[in-house]
Amino acid sequence: MSAQLQAAETPPAHPLAGATLSGADVVVQVLADEGVEVIFGYSGGAILPVYDAVFRYNREHARPDAREPMPLIVPANEQGAGFMAQGYARASGKVGVALVTSGPGATNTVTPVRDAMADSIPLVVICGQVPTTALGSDAFQEAPVGNVMGACAKHVFLVTDASKLEATLRTAFDIARSGRPGPVVVDIPKDVQNAQLEFDGASRLPIHGYRARLRAVEHSHLDGETCAAFFGALKQAKRPLIYAGGGVIAAGAAVALRAFADAFGLPVTTTLMGLGGVDTTGPLALHMLGMHGTAYANYAVEDCDFLFAVGARFDDRVAGVAAKFAPRARFIAHIDIDPAEIDKVKSVQWRHVGALVPALDRLTAYGRAHGVLPPLADWHAHLAALKREHAMDYDRASDLIQPQAVIEAINRRAQGRAIVSTGVGQHQMWAAQYFDFRAPRQWLTSGSMGTMGFGLPAAIGAQFARPDALVIDIDGDGSIRMNIGELETVTTYGLPIKVVVLNNGGDGMVRQWQKLYFGQRFSATDKSLHKKDFVRAAQADGFEWAKRLTDKAAIEATIADFLAFDGPAFLEVMIDPDAGVYPMVGPGASYAQMITGDFIRARSAPAALDATPHMF
Amino acid sequence: MRHTLAMLLQNESGALVRVAGLLAARGYNIDTLTVVTTADPAVSQLTLSLQCDDAGAMQLLQQMRKLIDVLQVAHLPAAALAA
Ligand SMILES: Cc1ncc(C[n+]2csc(CCOP(=O)(O)OP(=O)(O)O)c2C)c(N)n1
Ligand SMILES: [Mg+2]
Repeated sequence: MSAQLQAAETPPAHPLAGATLSGADVVVQVLADEGVEVIFGYSGGAILPVYDAVFRYNREHARPDAREPMPLIVPANEQGAGFMAQGYARASGKVGVALVTSGPGATNTVTPVRDAMADSIPLVVICGQVPTTALGSDAFQEAPVGNVMGACAKHVFLVTDASKLEATLRTAFDIARSGRPGPVVVDIPKDVQNAQLEFDGASRLPIHGYRARLRAVEHSHLDGETCAAFFGALKQAKRPLIYAGGGVIAAGAAVALRAFADAFGLPVTTTLMGLGGVDTTGPLALHMLGMHGTAYANYAVEDCDFLFAVGARFDDRVAGVAAKFAPRARFIAHIDIDPAEIDKVKSVQWRHVGALVPALDRLTAYGRAHGVLPPLADWHAHLAALKREHAMDYDRASDLIQPQAVIEAINRRAQGRAIVSTGVGQHQMWAAQYFDFRAPRQWLTSGSMGTMGFGLPAAIGAQFARPDALVIDIDGDGSIRMNIGELETVTTYGLPIKVVVLNNGGDGMVRQWQKLYFGQRFSATDKSLHKKDFVRAAQADGFEWAKRLTDKAAIEATIADFLAFDGPAFLEVMIDPDAGVYPMVGPGASYAQMITGDFIRARSAPAALDATPHMF
Repeated sequence: MRHTLAMLLQNESGALVRVAGLLAARGYNIDTLTVVTTADPAVSQLTLSLQCDDAGAMQLLQQMRKLIDVLQVAHLPAAALAA
């Protein structure tokens, strides 16, 4: 290679290349170079140098309108910071960043880090650590972050060699956002933050094994033979179905999926994590499948003879009984970026490990070029009938407020354009079932970990990612208590978030299981006698608009007023404490045995459940 | 059935913990474990064996490949060990 060519390929040197910076300044400079526009974090002794560096960076780089280029958003608890970073990442697709101190600061972020791992959300969590000389001495606020986070995160770095700090940080972002995304923790001893270092502006760690595997996956190409096998099976199919997961959203593959599905007239059902991966209002969209999926989506899975899993992983909330999942599918195809997910739960007839967008684009082009147009009119008519006859419904005649009616009222105004976050429980499932999502990254929920307390901080992070969007947290009375300190964070930063608490006097989802499987013994899940006045709590935290809705007749007017308020607003809704989440595919049950409840028509009487609730 | 995995590992602090932790978190018990240095001081060679079924071994192999410190990993056929 000629010297000239080499020069052309080398990116221009970083303006600070060769400068001497403290470790703390290196941290902030790499964050700036990586495009970080907001940090969520709580300070403390072991991270003080970096906090000081952020302060100086923001002062020196203030925008003309005095706005800080990298504001530091302070939660009530580091768990909140982790979930804010997640909300930011989920809503924007960028890496979320949290910055915390050693010991308790770091351990408070274990839950959001694990949650991000389980849902494949890119985070970089930077923790202060005791000085390298004190490591392992049981020093004040020392915690074994490498051990704890190593078991939870995509990767953890303990930076003991200050000269590798810069390369390590840049590599942390590479790892977080590449392949199957996930959280990366960087543990930085205080003396490393204070070290004087020569900045180079470009270094990365080699991590040869990871990069080689990543390259192989990213460049894996669908050859003609593999495409032919796919379409050979599709042409034989009379009832094909796409089952799309969170991978579609992580990969930015919604447009490619839409084009693929439209090209061949294929219906799509999504997982909880995949909601928004296709426009849920489309005629061939079947909304969510699984344990609390729509009856029509689950029946479609029962009926399909060809199933195409795209960025989905047959997890136990979808394929609780893997052997009985999609029992009539003669051909199952699976695309994922993670080789470990292929054949893990369900062995498939066709597989491709690779990035979703090029794979879907290639399939679309191949099918078009070969004139594939399966005659699916009968199947489409069948699905339309399923949608009509087994539509979502609930107790509309009750005098009590039904949670589904509240969500429908919000949805009528949000029209599938709001960003919705949730806690975990029944309210989460009602939100998943009754909201429309026109686009990806509007639905923020703790899917795999199911972490109560996710909703409020995630909404905060999302509002920073999308300052002009309507952000709504649909929360439960139990879930919101977990991170209720973050109510004050909403008003501190003047975020126009709309917080809804669907109050059913306790842990409704657990009560539902106790009702079904534990002889109505409501052990430790009834909060009806608890004293908290949520409205006054919100007012005390600075919510000017804070109301309680108790009258069914006032739903429409109250919701209209609530959503129209220009600023943070809090609405507690006293809902029917006995409202249940249906449909429900119980633990150990197949989709055919789904219970649809009193208001959704079942296709056949569900078989008696003899399952033990071992999977809750 | 006994399965053996052999890998080249970056010689980083915590790398061995992550390999062992992956197995522990999945409920496996390591029967034998050897770690030796290689000609390259930045790389260690690790060999371990455990009891699991074939599908479990294949899944472990894939999971090991997700560890950042793992350079290469292979599943050794039983015959190779007997030889
Ligand atoms: C941190 C955490 N602890 C416990 C659970 C178990 N859990 C799942 S749903 C639920 C009840 C949630 O109550 P609430 O937030 O009021 O929601 P509801 O089901 O009443 O709508 C519990 C305790 C959990 N998911 N997360
Ligand atoms: Mg509740």
